[in-house]
Amino acid sequence: MNYNPITALVLFFGISLLLFFVFRPKKGVFFFFKNLYRQKDKTIIEDILKFLYHNQESNNSITTNALTNALHFSNTLIIESLNKMIDRDLIFLEKDSYKLTPKGSEYALQIIRAHRLWEKYLSEKTGLKKTEWHERAEQKEHELNTSEINKLSSLLGNPIYDPHGDPIPTSKGKIALKKGIPLSSLKENTMGRIIHIEDEPKIIYKQILAENIHLYSTIKVIENNTTRIVFHAEGEQFILAPIVAGNITVSVLHKEEIHEENIARLSSLQLHKKAIIVGLSKECRGENRRRLLDLGFVKGAKIEIDLLNPLGDPKAYLIKGTAIALRKDQAAKILIKKCDDGK
Amino acid sequence: MNTKNIENIIALAEDLRWQIGDDFHDNLAESIYTDAAKIVEDSVTKDNQKSKFRLDAKIDKIVTSRIWGFPIMLLILSVVLWLTIVGANYPSSMLSALLLDTVHPFLKNLGTNIGFPWWLNGFLFDGVYLAVAWVIAVMLPPMAIFFPLFTLLEDFGYLPRVAFNMDSLFKKSGAHGKQALTMSMGFGCNAAGVVATRIIDSPRERLIAIITNNFSLCNGRWPTQILLATLFIGAVVPQSLSSFASLTAVIGIAVLGIFFMFFFSWGLSKTLLKGEISTFNLELPPYRPPVFWKTIYTSLIDRTLIVLWRAIVFAAPAGAVIWLISNISIGNESIAAWSIHALDGFGFLLGLNGVILVAYIVAIPANEIVIPTILMLTVMVTGIHAGAGDGVLFELNSVTATADILKAGGWTLLTAVNVMLFSLLHNPCSTTIYTIYKETNSLKWTLVATILPIITGFIVTFLIAQIWRILV
Repeated sequence: MNYNPITALVLFFGISLLLFFVFRPKKGVFFFFKNLYRQKDKTIIEDILKFLYHNQESNNSITTNALTNALHFSNTLIIESLNKMIDRDLIFLEKDSYKLTPKGSEYALQIIRAHRLWEKYLSEKTGLKKTEWHERAEQKEHELNTSEINKLSSLLGNPIYDPHGDPIPTSKGKIALKKGIPLSSLKENTMGRIIHIEDEPKIIYKQILAENIHLYSTIKVIENNTTRIVFHAEGEQFILAPIVAGNITVSVLHKEEIHEENIARLSSLQLHKKAIIVGLSKECRGENRRRLLDLGFVKGAKIEIDLLNPLGDPKAYLIKGTAIALRKDQAAKILIKKCDDGK
Repeated sequence: MNTKNIENIIALAEDLRWQIGDDFHDNLAESIYTDAAKIVEDSVTKDNQKSKFRLDAKIDKIVTSRIWGFPIMLLILSVVLWLTIVGANYPSSMLSALLLDTVHPFLKNLGTNIGFPWWLNGFLFDGVYLAVAWVIAVMLPPMAIFFPLFTLLEDFGYLPRVAFNMDSLFKKSGAHGKQALTMSMGFGCNAAGVVATRIIDSPRERLIAIITNNFSLCNGRWPTQILLATLFIGAVVPQSLSSFASLTAVIGIAVLGIFFMFFFSWGLSKTLLKGEISTFNLELPPYRPPVFWKTIYTSLIDRTLIVLWRAIVFAAPAGAVIWLISNISIGNESIAAWSIHALDGFGFLLGLNGVILVAYIVAIPANEIVIPTILMLTVMVTGIHAGAGDGVLFELNSVTATADILKAGGWTLLTAVNVMLFSLLHNPCSTTIYTIYKETNSLKWTLVATILPIITGFIVTFLIAQIWRILV
């Protein structure tokens, strides 16, 4: 057969390149057109409501300028939507800044409810990575209607907090209060409990995730100055830059509230040492959590290392007379109290 | 009760739920387990099994040690594969002597004597019977050796240790350590490998194991690889090195399959399957001496016969199709010839030919009948004198005679290399596809598992063919 293999190769790579540009994740032409057909109006209005709600909570007044700077839509679209919202009695102008009407803040709370419930859903019922939850919820919150949201909530057992520690508003607009301070302002030698880890901006969130800091862990600040914050939690030491620590909220613990001491992660257990399980970290979620409970990783169970791995991971642990292998990231989410050698 | 009361109760329930907090379910579960543990402690007395436990620990120390862990695994896998491939030769040749060389002519004679018309005789005995007999003769012995050996290792308790040792390699590609076992099972039979993925209880990792199982070179494909490597690759090196070169080529293909398995596991866990739930746990049960005869019996019944039965169910219509397309003519050519000519161009582009593609299409039920189909079709289109007629599968005992037929069909070293690659990288056999559907209950994943390897096969053979033609 007469043909030129080089032409065939060039053609092949040409087609592959074309397919790549069409279906490339997020930036591809395919996704561009898919996004074009989304309901834009609704999305903008809801995003503005959310933005106003969050800022109203922290007492910032929001002008048109602030809105156009913060949201990724064209200015004309935003101004059009603002006018529509005033017509629909969702917001009103006070001097230069926009305020939510009661109807508006009720609407905003439902969007926030949808967002946080969806994050909770992703954390419990899927295997998606933490870094993907927020972005997916940002889209999904505009697609769910009230009855779907309520169904989702009861499916998840009407949770109160989302996986970042944020309270989820109820269908009636009730929301749990959270009092906390940024980790960066916690004084040296005081103790606290991490109650919230902010997922925006993504760069800082990724840094926090990389450190393996767990929500609801009890911490003790060792050092706090302008360059770094050093603290202990679950038997490990963490060092953060103040700007990163500012995205972690802690509630200050007083002496009488502290009943957990010398807690460590199972991943730090040494060979031939025994320990007692104190519980599973809140970071251990969904199917993983249930599976570990089923296998007997519950409060009070005695545990020790049974076998080390030739490649280092996973290790086999002896629990209730059975050898169970767990990977390091799982073992890090099981909290133990190490036994003294005498016992 | 009036509606107002109900509303009040619901409101109260919601309020209470709010007060109890999120930890409620966990605390409940925890306290149940704690109570259970206490009851066990008080009421169950344990035998003093310390000495037995110590032996277990000793074995564990050796099979999971840094120095011995991996060599022991490789040794056992090689021995099992060697026993299967070499050991299956004798019963296979006996079975084919019986089913193909004795029973087949007998049935045909019987047909003629009863007065069957030639087409019914051909359709039933050359088509349906021959394909089924072929599949049984080639498939049964290796499976009857491989599965019991595998089950014995499983029962002894060694296999979970393999998963334990291998896990961190598989974790890197987003898979479960137990995939090492289902992959090895795939070396015996992909359908059985897919069934074996039931041991993986995490949904995402199980799907990965199912979809990538086809990259394990199964028993039906080992003989193809060995034949082609001996015929073509062994022939290009000096005589003294030829068996070494062909052995290396076959192992190279199997290793390439493992590479693709890892690559696609990684790719799937990052893209299509990233939303599926992923968990991990691996129990290392105590060792126990296997119950030898019971194990052999159950593995023969549970694994071998079920897989064989499915293969037969699919092979019978395939035999019919092969015979029909070779004997029904449209115009002055048979359907087979028409489709071969139609696919010749595409085949050439992939460094293959129309005969090979048609053979892979009609031989979907079993990889075992691919080579006989290729030989039969080649003889048919080239018109050389061999075989037993159109639509009658055959294989030759003489290696050189087989090579002569293939060379007459236009085969070169490139064709042989690409057929070896295509044999590794093509859709699973219909038995496996059906099993995947049964196991996943999803058309979507069945399609992915079917299409992914064949697209890979097209791309790889295409690239090899072009580069080969540019360089050689």
